[in-house]
Amino acid sequence: MKAKLALLLAAVLGCSLVLSGCWNSRELNELAIVSGIGLDSLDGKQGYRVTFQIINPSSSAQTTGSASNQPPIIVVSATDRTIFGALRKASRRATRQLFFAHTQLVLIGESLAEKGITSVFDIFERSHELRLNSAVLVSKGTDAASVLKLLTTLESMPSMGLLKKMQNTSRVWGENRKVTVFEVINGITGESDFTVNGVEIVGDAAEGEKKSSLEQSDPMVGSLMSGLGVFKEGKLIGWLNGPQSRGTQWVLDKINETSINIDSPDMEEDIAVNIFYSKTRVKVELQEGKPVFHVHISEEGIINETGGFVDLSKEDELQELQKEMAEKTAAEVRQAVKAAQDMKTDIFNFGNELKRIHPQSWETVKEDWSAAFAEGELDLKVDAYIRSTGMRLKPYIPAKK
Amino acid sequence: MPNQTTESKPGELNNSKEQGPPIYLKLEDNIKQICDRLGNSPDLIVRAYESPFQDIRVKTLYINGLIDKELVEDYITHALSFDSLRQGIEPAAEEAFAYAKEKAQNIGKEKIVEDQNSLLEGLLSGDTMILFDGLGKGISVSTSGGEGRSVTEATTQVNIRGPKDSFTESLGTNLSLVRKRIKNPNLWIETLTIGAVTKTDVSIVHIHGLAKEETLQQIRKKLADIHVDSILESGYIEQLIEENNYSPFPTLYNTERPDSVAGNLLEGRIAIFVDGTPFVLILPATFFMFFHTVEDYYQRYDISSIIRVLRFICLLVSLFGPAIFVAALNFHQEMIPTPLLINFASQREGVPFPVVIEVLLLEVTFEIIREAGIRMPSQIGQTVSIIGGLVLGQAAVQAGIVSPAMVIVVSLTGISSFATPAFNMALSIRILRFIITFVAAYIGLYGIAIIGLMLVAHLCSLRSMGVPYMSPVAPFASGDQKDIFLRTPLHFMKTRRRLISKNSKVPGTTAQLSRDNRHES
Repeated sequence: MKAKLALLLAAVLGCSLVLSGCWNSRELNELAIVSGIGLDSLDGKQGYRVTFQIINPSSSAQTTGSASNQPPIIVVSATDRTIFGALRKASRRATRQLFFAHTQLVLIGESLAEKGITSVFDIFERSHELRLNSAVLVSKGTDAASVLKLLTTLESMPSMGLLKKMQNTSRVWGENRKVTVFEVINGITGESDFTVNGVEIVGDAAEGEKKSSLEQSDPMVGSLMSGLGVFKEGKLIGWLNGPQSRGTQWVLDKINETSINIDSPDMEEDIAVNIFYSKTRVKVELQEGKPVFHVHISEEGIINETGGFVDLSKEDELQELQKEMAEKTAAEVRQAVKAAQDMKTDIFNFGNELKRIHPQSWETVKEDWSAAFAEGELDLKVDAYIRSTGMRLKPYIPAKK
Repeated sequence: MPNQTTESKPGELNNSKEQGPPIYLKLEDNIKQICDRLGNSPDLIVRAYESPFQDIRVKTLYINGLIDKELVEDYITHALSFDSLRQGIEPAAEEAFAYAKEKAQNIGKEKIVEDQNSLLEGLLSGDTMILFDGLGKGISVSTSGGEGRSVTEATTQVNIRGPKDSFTESLGTNLSLVRKRIKNPNLWIETLTIGAVTKTDVSIVHIHGLAKEETLQQIRKKLADIHVDSILESGYIEQLIEENNYSPFPTLYNTERPDSVAGNLLEGRIAIFVDGTPFVLILPATFFMFFHTVEDYYQRYDISSIIRVLRFICLLVSLFGPAIFVAALNFHQEMIPTPLLINFASQREGVPFPVVIEVLLLEVTFEIIREAGIRMPSQIGQTVSIIGGLVLGQAAVQAGIVSPAMVIVVSLTGISSFATPAFNMALSIRILRFIITFVAAYIGLYGIAIIGLMLVAHLCSLRSMGVPYMSPVAPFASGDQKDIFLRTPLHFMKTRRRLISKNSKVPGTTAQLSRDNRHES
């Protein structure tokens, strides 16, 4: 009896061992690793043209294995009504099964973005392979496929290159930030609107697909991180550029490090301040039915360059510069808020903030938040500090008599 | 064959107390009988002694090579000269016998033998026999000696700092090496003979008052229950008394280092010495013992602790290294950072086999090199490892049979397995590694988790002489953690492990011990 029971138990356990688990062992050399996905709309038709940037391992790895002269990536496109359909249809062009777990980048073509991207991201949440932390970019003035086809120098994998470009510029310049699929979905579902980084092609796109374009020190073609695409209700309605986009990041408290030029007593914008710390606190409330946005920014910087004479050893000079610095920052933020208000698009998450802190007030404005937002008043306060003047105090430039 | 029991009755195997036929009265009959039973062996030396008295005829017997020649010469010339008997009238044989017996006390361990079996046994264990004509009894004197290896440096458990001596094949030498370290009357030694044919001396050594009485009893009983022809190495004893014959894990610790034995005795453990081998068994053994070395206690605690942690990391690497690699490459490609995955992918581009086959190919090659290297004379052993490691590894990669990353994984696991100080434990881990790799190739990390759980459950079910194998981690004893994963400073170590030792207080041990003895006696 006991032996029978043990046998039964062993059989059940054995079965569970054999029958369960993910029986999807796949060898690496049977996989096509997809590094980037491009989504474009079809002219006059429903559906997508999905472009995959597939890594060609033998020519993109840094090993001395089997190096070949092929380009480091291969781009395959397929069109279908659904994205998944396109994924599978692409098998007619690819020798290996597409593998999406390492997708770095999701590029959305400008035309698709204008049509609306609300329904695009469902597969990213549903599929176990696609990642929610892939970065999202909108191609500006071109379609996603052409950006994916560009070869890059320095980084052998173009998607990785674009991603690094985005991370790098958001770290030291601050006009952009990494927006992931997850954040976009949050933006779509939340009360506010959202922005997505734009990327544009500089130069002749067709030339950039050839490997020969990499064989000169100044590549003729390249991609450039450019501004923020403003999405309202899932549709691209405009672009924020330069100071506007940096102002946006400032309000969103996404500035890591950046640089602004302030005026010296002699000349305009000839002192470069490297801002290495910035913290933004946002409060939103309704005053007499009108939203007021209290934005409080504290920032700290180092003077990295002066173009004229400033006596940095004097406290009041520094005070002056700090004031200047605060004003410049405030100007950028005001520009950004104004641009957003003109587009009646709350890209600063103010709506969510109001809903969170004053849910009752939110109830009164939620019906027409866009209009209320556009009417909103900005109460901006910037505290700027200069913490260091670099390795010297007074510049070698003589003071003007 | 080691494990075959003989047909003879259990009683006569272990001790020689059972009575054989009595010794013949006539000297010549006895000699003839012994020669017959030894098959006229040429190493039996029979020396007639020219006695000063006519009626007394004496012969000494011993086996050449088993005895200490000087001792025998000394004894014969002095004891059998019957100096003090010469003055008087011719003594009776009994009187001369008593005289010789008394003189034999100079050498020690003298005893009277009256039956043929004990006579032979004594001869074979290096005793010298003195037989008197017409008495039907003889004197046995312990003169064992002969050639043996001298005490040399340990070869299997090498250390940087610490004593350099190691055990030899001689039981007496080995016991003395431990005695020299523990100068305490409570170091008790019991000796018994095991093996129907080989009659091997086996000693149980413990520190009275520290070792647990129940464990001792258990060991005595287990040793008494061994019925085999031969004990050629302590491994025989180990396999015959261990509780889990079908477990891959060793439940008895063995060492050839006297300081290791001394340390373990002081922790309340019990050692089993076997004549003819330098490897001493220590029990009860727990899992974590196999990852400690004596040198941990000689180096400063911080260094030792870090090295211990490193050893446990090596354990994990050598158990799970290839398995995790296979699982990640076959099932969980999303876990690998993208640039690394691309590197792996490009390396695998030209490899025709699945990852598992690649792993097994290399692992088996590695095992072959290792085994060949061990059995070869040391000069050739080096050549084997050079050809195997450098040439084969490099060429296999260039020939596109395996990928370079695989060579790294396999060699890392191979080296990690050598970081386990106990060789028998390292062997078990190596075998388990193959099983785990198979499972990982079959169902990925899920399989590794399952087999890991099974391993833990199995380890927790093991016992060594009644002590849970995983103690003091499972069952958890918070007070005993100070010398498991880390080696805390020596002044923290004020208690012995409760499950192993009877007396868990460390300071003042000797005082405590002598008091205990007084109570008991």
